[in-house]
Amino acid sequence: MTKEPVDVCIIGSGAGGAPMALELARAGFKVVVLEKGPHYQPRDFIHDEILNSRRNFFMPLPWEEPHLVRQGTGGRYERTNSAWTANCVGGGTVHMSGYFYRLKPVDFRLRSTLGAVKGSTLADWPISYEELAPFYDKAEAELGVSGEAVPHPFAEPRSGPYPLPPLDVHPMARELDRVCGEMGWHALPTARGIISRPYRGRAACAYCALCGSYGCEMGAKSSTHASLIPAALATGNVELRPRCMARSVEVDKQGRARSVVYLDAEGVEQEQPAKVVVVSCTAVESARLLLNSVSNRFPRGLANGSGLVGRNLLFSSFGESRATFRVSKQRAARPWLTDPSPFVNRSVQDFYLMPDERFGFRKGGTLGFMWTHPNPIFAAVELAGSGKDGVFGKALKDRMRAYRDSRILQFEVYGEFLPTPGTYVTVEPSVKDKYGLPVAAITMDRHPMDFTATRFLVERGEEILLRLDPDDMQRVGIAGETTILQHGTCRFGNDPATSVLDRECRAHEVPNLYVVDGSFMPTAGSVPSTLTIVANSFRVAHGLVARMKRDGAAPAAPRD
Amino acid sequence: MDRRSFLQRLTFFGGGVVLLGSGACSRCGAPAGPSEPQATAPSEPPHLTFTRAEYAVVAAACERVLPRDEDPGAQDAGVPVYIDRMLQTPELTRMRQDFIQGVAALERRSLRMFQVGFAQATPAQQDELLALFKDSPGGSGEAHFFELLMVLTLEGFLGDPSYGGNQAQVGWKLVGFDTVGTVASAPPEGHDGTRCLHTCGRQP
Repeated sequence: MTKEPVDVCIIGSGAGGAPMALELARAGFKVVVLEKGPHYQPRDFIHDEILNSRRNFFMPLPWEEPHLVRQGTGGRYERTNSAWTANCVGGGTVHMSGYFYRLKPVDFRLRSTLGAVKGSTLADWPISYEELAPFYDKAEAELGVSGEAVPHPFAEPRSGPYPLPPLDVHPMARELDRVCGEMGWHALPTARGIISRPYRGRAACAYCALCGSYGCEMGAKSSTHASLIPAALATGNVELRPRCMARSVEVDKQGRARSVVYLDAEGVEQEQPAKVVVVSCTAVESARLLLNSVSNRFPRGLANGSGLVGRNLLFSSFGESRATFRVSKQRAARPWLTDPSPFVNRSVQDFYLMPDERFGFRKGGTLGFMWTHPNPIFAAVELAGSGKDGVFGKALKDRMRAYRDSRILQFEVYGEFLPTPGTYVTVEPSVKDKYGLPVAAITMDRHPMDFTATRFLVERGEEILLRLDPDDMQRVGIAGETTILQHGTCRFGNDPATSVLDRECRAHEVPNLYVVDGSFMPTAGSVPSTLTIVANSFRVAHGLVARMKRDGAAPAAPRD
Repeated sequence: MDRRSFLQRLTFFGGGVVLLGSGACSRCGAPAGPSEPQATAPSEPPHLTFTRAEYAVVAAACERVLPRDEDPGAQDAGVPVYIDRMLQTPELTRMRQDFIQGVAALERRSLRMFQVGFAQATPAQQDELLALFKDSPGGSGEAHFFELLMVLTLEGFLGDPSYGGNQAQVGWKLVGFDTVGTVASAPPEGHDGTRCLHTCGRQP
């Protein structure tokens, strides 16, 4: 059935979609937001690990909606649930941990800073940090971010303090401050998308320790679900349609986006016409939607005349080590070890950019320190191990008792993930999801420099952990990728031959089509990108509102 | 840790979105063999998923994964009840089939090796057999079943008590989950995880 036309149809309600919905609605435009997942209420966010983390509350089941992942073109596809973020109103911002870093000025001009990197399709951004900075300010204020800016060699310029003071931290944070200081490095307070004080009608954090992989029943986590979406709905100009799965974006004879065809909550096909279509389903799923939107005008997928949709896929390079402190052994020296404060909130960015290539790389990244997640099933599955290294019986119970006597401090590395020609998303027509749509297929071919840089950062983090005098230290890995942080499948740029979107995140080939999740990013930086996606979406919304108003509520005609 | 499991760990969440990994593995059937004859009369409905004979095997196997020692074990926590109930989840149909086939394989192997059923074998024999399954080649039916058994046992031992396991929170006490900062924010009184799996956010 064809619905009444609206000004703007936005697909996705997470970090990219929600700022657009809010700003367009504030400007008086009629907006429909299609969201694939349900609209949970705070009462649905229950501290139940099985519900939240081990079933399809947030993530689709891999046998119903798989992503295919293979290593190189010669690899075999595996069906996985990786590279999904939460399927619900608010998207990945609902179950994120909320590490709200900004990118740094160098991230916007990495190609001109590093020069050509062999084997990488590195590109500068068409905008500068200075152009995005006011929208970082806006994003931090609208979402609610707690933090404290301190001087350090790679501190990005800020116009003022964070909207909220930092969250309380565990005494271990002071120890990190001390040992980093001794090493001549800087332990920076990690800004969090969690409000430390009541803010805009939302309650402050209750320090329950269950942020990542859970929804926040307090509304203290600054998801779009708790902040931007309610504000957008309050304008009266937004209709949010949960459990609606977009199938394709349709085009008219001129090749302009005309409507979105979707399956509603009952599985019935609907069509929503709109003057402007905004795609924001995550970099992997947005590429999939465009590639599945085949028409006579765009036989290779919407806005894909260049063949670039799905190319230059980026995740975030990941490494991790853990230090174990035995409570029974350390009780005298550290009586505060069992303090239940969940946050450590310290980051090290002294190696964000290296002065030369003596270590085999230039672009480093960020170390984020935190207590390991308290989810007990997750912890126990790791303790049990698998295969020949796995244990059961008394050996497993002994490990579980040792775990009870432990506080485990970890760091995560957020490293540059260099774009390569071999890492991309396609669609696989032979594998369909439960909606009957071809699924996204990911091919990975990592750049070796990523691993060199991650190893270096892991080693620096381990130096810090060892100075804390732990009872044990364990390296988890140096060669991972964080697939919930995804970018780059529709990179923006000034040249239609090398980019899918223009600097306004509007498709070069389709003048009323925008993509505002992480897809636009030619490089992903070396921090979690959520805040950047929100800030950019506010920037794009600012431009789109101006353009629509100037054109009398009609989207701009194609220029040139 | 191999690359694939690292990929799927998605550690950035911290919470571990593992989703019973191998349940996704459609080609991993349990070992082929004649199907087990029905051990109980159809008129007996003691359990939701398992026959009485199957349930005895499951209970014995869980108890070897987490045996009672100075702390409570899997049966004390109600793990077999948890597994019996959880495998009724419609989305886990394939896992249920794989698990029941695995139970039958375990029983067959016990009869062949020890001339008694798994539940009647000695703890040492049970451990020997479970270790054999655990150490089977990755992707084999035996390894797949052991992984399901391990994951479901840990879920039943450490999950919310409303699912039928972790009775008196014995699992949480063992790992110290009851002492970290999460006590004040336990699920609300009357929380029913099993029901919530089907209804939360899905009602109009």
